Amino acid sequence: MKKFRLYYDKDKEQEWLQKMALSGWALKNFFLGVYTFVPCKPGEYIYQIDLLDDFRDNNDFVAFLEDSGVEVVSRWFRWIYLRKKAEDGPFEMYTDIDSKIDHYNRIKRFFQVALLLEVICFLIEAIAVVTTRDPLLLIFTILIGTIALAILRVVWRCKWKIEQLKQMS
Amino acid sequence: MIYLENNLPLTEAVFYILLAVRKPNHGYGIIQEVNEITGGRLVLGPGTLYGAINSLLSKNWIELYSEDKTSRKKKEYVITEEGKEVFFREVKRLEELIKNAKLMEESV
Repeated sequence: MKKFRLYYDKDKEQEWLQKMALSGWALKNFFLGVYTFVPCKPGEYIYQIDLLDDFRDNNDFVAFLEDSGVEVVSRWFRWIYLRKKAEDGPFEMYTDIDSKIDHYNRIKRFFQVALLLEVICFLIEAIAVVTTRDPLLLIFTILIGTIALAILRVVWRCKWKIEQLKQMS
Repeated sequence: MIYLENNLPLTEAVFYILLAVRKPNHGYGIIQEVNEITGGRLVLGPGTLYGAINSLLSKNWIELYSEDKTSRKKKEYVITEEGKEVFFREVKRLEELIKNAKLMEESV
């Protein structure tokens, strides 16, 4: 079964994958918003989503996870979809506040870079619209602006989550 | 040795990781042992453990014990002398806490 979804909140996405697994559908692959599911026993797997970091050796990290009994289901760009059998006990990637804060900081950084690129594109397009007055370009510019706002929301959400975690520590 | 004091108190994760690598141990072994000796209270997430191991390696409190790349054997880690020193300083601190906690019992 294939489903198309666009998530900008990794925690919500994770919850959804968990619900799918509970109803007997295990994620097998992810590519550009297309999730491929195969049947599984209801609740057979626990899913986690993580973001790889540019500043560390990702092959080493992935090998470490596999050594720890974690299955890397799908890898897309810098996102990885992980799972463990539920019968092997609880599975949560980050179990203390400091490492959770680090995790959201990595996600925040990732989207901040994306935001910067989008804003640059938006400005270039906006200048082009003003000079050419091309209606097609205008639509395109509005689209880029909308994406930039969506990314800005993600960055804010990460900031909010980090603040919440900091208050707990 | 003042710099060692600055690292105390240890986080619970670091305390138990140091304990679990008193003998050479690999990632999965650390997770399992900590889980066992805390009666399932402390379950280390693999992401948390990975970050902690790298930070302990850079502080030189633990070191790589073996890495056999040809047989894809799991990496093993072991505590260093410096790591042991930090660990026992922490134990001393904890003992002081327990000793002083008796004051509360006496007052009740």
